Amino acid sequence: MLQNHVFIALIIFILTYTAIISEKINRTVIALFGAVLMIIFQVLPQKRAFGIIDFNTIGLLIGMMIIVIILRKTGIFQYIAIRTAKASKGDPWKIFLMFSIITAVASALLDNVTTILLIAPVTLVITDTLKLNAFPFLFAEIFAANIGGTATLIGDPPNIMIGGATGLGFLDFIYNIAPAAVLVFIVTMFIMKFIFRKEFKVTEENKKNMLLFDEHKTIQNKKLLIQSGIVLGITILGFILHQAVHLESATVALFGGVLLLLVSKADPDEILMEIEWSTVFFFVGLFVLVGALEEVGVIKILAEKLIAATEGNVMVTSMLILWFSAVASAFVDNIPFVATMIPLIQNMQAISGIDVTPLWWSLALGACLGGNGTIVGASANVIAAGMMEKRGKKIGFVQYLKLAFPLMLVSIIISTIYLLVFYV
Amino acid sequence: MNYLNVEASQHEMRLIQMGAKVEQINSKMCYIKFVIEGIPVEYVYNLNKKNKYFLERTKPYPLAVKAYENVADLVEVINVDIKQFKNVVKSKNIESFLAINKELISTIKKFEDLFLYYNVPTEEVELLKNKIGEIQQEIAKTKETAERVFFDKEPENLK
Repeated sequence: MLQNHVFIALIIFILTYTAIISEKINRTVIALFGAVLMIIFQVLPQKRAFGIIDFNTIGLLIGMMIIVIILRKTGIFQYIAIRTAKASKGDPWKIFLMFSIITAVASALLDNVTTILLIAPVTLVITDTLKLNAFPFLFAEIFAANIGGTATLIGDPPNIMIGGATGLGFLDFIYNIAPAAVLVFIVTMFIMKFIFRKEFKVTEENKKNMLLFDEHKTIQNKKLLIQSGIVLGITILGFILHQAVHLESATVALFGGVLLLLVSKADPDEILMEIEWSTVFFFVGLFVLVGALEEVGVIKILAEKLIAATEGNVMVTSMLILWFSAVASAFVDNIPFVATMIPLIQNMQAISGIDVTPLWWSLALGACLGGNGTIVGASANVIAAGMMEKRGKKIGFVQYLKLAFPLMLVSIIISTIYLLVFYV
Repeated sequence: MNYLNVEASQHEMRLIQMGAKVEQINSKMCYIKFVIEGIPVEYVYNLNKKNKYFLERTKPYPLAVKAYENVADLVEVINVDIKQFKNVVKSKNIESFLAINKELISTIKKFEDLFLYYNVPTEEVELLKNKIGEIQQEIAKTKETAERVFFDKEPENLK
């Protein structure tokens, strides 16, 4: 009976993941379908399946989405972007760098996709006005979003999941991952400056047109801006203190989200409608799928094999996880990948008793930065590519790969050195 | 949804810079299609929580956008419109009716272009006004002599 369950769980898991990777079927639908099949075939009972769902991750995602949806309506992003572009006096390289910094910082506090959705429209308007090719700017913003997201607990779904499963907090990520992310960001920007050096040319007339933009017009609701700013500040403070005051990160995010709904008097139907429920349910499906695999002992077997292969050596395992995560995340969705890796590392700790903390940082760095490697590596990439395609400038898979993959490898080399120096 | 947000944000930014106040509302766009005796009669309207419903007929010829306060009004307006079309398609003049409407719409567009692109002499403006007046008089005169065929509601523009 148990043998049957292992077989059924493996078949469902492999078929579901194959379908997700193929991108032929909507990833949320297939993940939920696989999860329901796990229950129907009694791999695990419904009660256990519901118990496996990591509601800390789900709550954190929903709470932050509510804050971002309301914050977006204030026009603050347009204000910051126009002000920055004007301060740069229309110098394309300075705009390129400043927009990338804004993206990286925003992405560290908000999720990557949201950040791209906020910065890309402004970028397109500014590059159109300056008659510049938008691609280098969007390309840099993709990298900045993924690198910035790597730096914090709330910046990228893999980190949210790692935090939810391990209890590692906001400050743990800041202390351990953020320095590596800053280093990667600086190096990446300098390489990009060289790559795109011929693109940063603009006429004086176009500069003048850009300087006509009035950033003050973008703030259409000052009261909402103040409310959103205060609540975002409280939420970030909550993340900094959540371990000290023994609160889960989801509690902090949901408190921020609901507080902002309350004080802004925003229509909850309108706001909740804009939550990316498909992403939330994708997570739900994955938690059940991976949980089922863990339930039948498959993850434990894999952990034992990995320990045997690496002889429990933390350095070897850490490097293996970093590089494998990076290459895998460049081609497949890093969320299901990390969802599978988390119980695997937890089982390694349970079996061998080794300190797996460096492995979490390897996983976070590999999975988040690896997403930069290809056009399909992260949701932010796909969205930015879609925008370029809508403007009649399709970015081919190979075209993107040629530029992005070597840059991604550079970021992983930096991470390798960082991890070797500080952790193993 | 993501692409829509990006497009909407770009439009919003450009329009705000032009001096507009922009409010984005989540809504449902409804397309309604009837075929009456082979003639397509189509409408488009927008359902939202702001209690402003914008209805426009798109076929067989456009009816200007009108805002309604009550969602039930929309269906009633369409109901009356459809009844009128069912009635009019039986008329031997249906082809002429549609052709004249098409010509009128084309004339309005040309008239608009004339004023937006050219400095029209005053005597020409007067001439055009007189011609419009003649058409309106002809419509009023015909109304007095023609047989009325639709009684469900009173005409809004032809008193």
